[in-house]
Amino acid sequence: MKRLTVLLLYFARTTLRGLRGSPVTTAVAILTISVSLVLVGAFDLLLRNMEDLLDDFGRDLHVTAYLEDGLADAEAEHLAAVLLTVEGVESVRPVSKDEALERFKSGMGADLLDGLDENPLPASIEIQLLPEQRTPAGMRIVVESIRGLPGIGDLGSGQDWVEGYLRALAVVRGIGVGLSFILAFAALLIVTNTIRLAVFARRDELDILRLVGASRAFTNTPFIAEGIAQGAAGGSLAVLLLFGIFHLVLPGLEFGFEVVLGSAPRFFHASEVLVLIGQGAALGLIGSVAALIGNARP
Amino acid sequence: MKRFRPLSPRSWFRPDSAGAPTAPTRADAAIQMYHCSKSYLAGSFALRDVSLEFGRGEFAFLTGPSGAGKTTLLELLFGAEHPSEGQIVVLGRNISRLGAAAVPRLRRRIGVVFQDFKLLPRLTVEENVALALDVLGTPRREARAKVFATLKQLGLQHRRYHHPLSLSGGEQQRVAIARALVNEPEILLADEPTGNLDADLTLEIMDLVVSTALRGTTVLVATHDLSLVDRYGKRSVRLEAGRVTEDHRPAGGVA
Repeated sequence: MKRLTVLLLYFARTTLRGLRGSPVTTAVAILTISVSLVLVGAFDLLLRNMEDLLDDFGRDLHVTAYLEDGLADAEAEHLAAVLLTVEGVESVRPVSKDEALERFKSGMGADLLDGLDENPLPASIEIQLLPEQRTPAGMRIVVESIRGLPGIGDLGSGQDWVEGYLRALAVVRGIGVGLSFILAFAALLIVTNTIRLAVFARRDELDILRLVGASRAFTNTPFIAEGIAQGAAGGSLAVLLLFGIFHLVLPGLEFGFEVVLGSAPRFFHASEVLVLIGQGAALGLIGSVAALIGNARP
Repeated sequence: MKRFRPLSPRSWFRPDSAGAPTAPTRADAAIQMYHCSKSYLAGSFALRDVSLEFGRGEFAFLTGPSGAGKTTLLELLFGAEHPSEGQIVVLGRNISRLGAAAVPRLRRRIGVVFQDFKLLPRLTVEENVALALDVLGTPRREARAKVFATLKQLGLQHRRYHHPLSLSGGEQQRVAIARALVNEPEILLADEPTGNLDADLTLEIMDLVVSTALRGTTVLVATHDLSLVDRYGKRSVRLEAGRVTEDHRPAGGVA
């Protein structure tokens, strides 16, 4: 136990000495990792926000059946009862012309329709779908089965919008994954080279350590720790940069987000921050192990 | 935590041979070489059919002109190179059959000194010597005490916070010897340890190395300086073109 503590202290000292011994290469490695992870993280953040939005949107995904003008109340009630029997429908809620006007006024401003003599908005029935039906496909089935029912003028649903959104999400995800691989590979090369240089710079010390009986694990551990430290530092810096960028860019975007989508974008949760730092550390670990493979002097 | 060790374990060790002709071992032999050859290039030999034995606490010179194979022989003994043919048993371990993990353990029992000292200029004298203890995970306080004691024996305790480049050649070699001896090795290998030193310093260093053997360490010193061999009157093995051409044991000497 005591020996382990002594060895850990030795490794910590050697690792710090190694990092301090080549500040420029270390800084370049950390910066490269952080720039890569900023881009990867930005895509990740965008995806997470887009997915959150989809979840929010999905929660109140519903179909609106606009009624033909002049439909009698009794007919509207009958229609509502019919709609309730359609498979996939959870509940229906009739909205009268007056209620539609009230909603419009409170949403868009009272004076917009002031010049009109007559209420131009149609009465409608809001159809809430069963939870398992709240997907673009599920919604399409419901829409198709109620289209053309007598009394229904038009059908409104977010179906097209959601489908477009899903396609956009897939594209962003594809670009993000592709870019992440390329950037991770570039960062890996930099870390590998940094550690190779460090090994080269300390080859005399390594030769002497091997001479006095150091095992390969003993001589390799400080380099691996160096790689992990660089990676974790790069990851942390990336989180800070992303946080800064997020709060610089956000005020410009927030208004648009709130009006169009009804929710403000969010930054990473603590656990996601840890994952990003962990990704940096993993890059450092893989890079340093790659640098040490093949350096098998007796 | 101290692990229990049975008394006199050394004599129980067998060479690590598996199916190969088993080399006979003697409990009092520190180094045994059987028909060892080393070839770096096909057809040319750095060492050829060398069979030698060195007892515990024995002192011997390895002599011969440059390129005779002295350095190669020492490198075989601490596992820096593997023999192309033959068997080498060092401290009861068959070198040619040692796994990668066992070589470092064997090296901890062997001190090595070179002509060019191999000290790290960035580290102080104390840190240089302590490297041999860092590898063992020796607690710092204990390591410092051992380093101090060893430096004191070599008359260098007042230099322990200096850096090697501020020391004279003789002092630097004494630091290298301190590093080799601080673990109390069972074997000390020295490759031209006085090659870079003037005559006075040469004798100073050699006296030190010879006195190490008196404390029970097996010492092999490679040198091309025959005056040293004459002066100390110890066993000397002469190598020429990779072969042992003479193994001279002074009358009344060890082994």
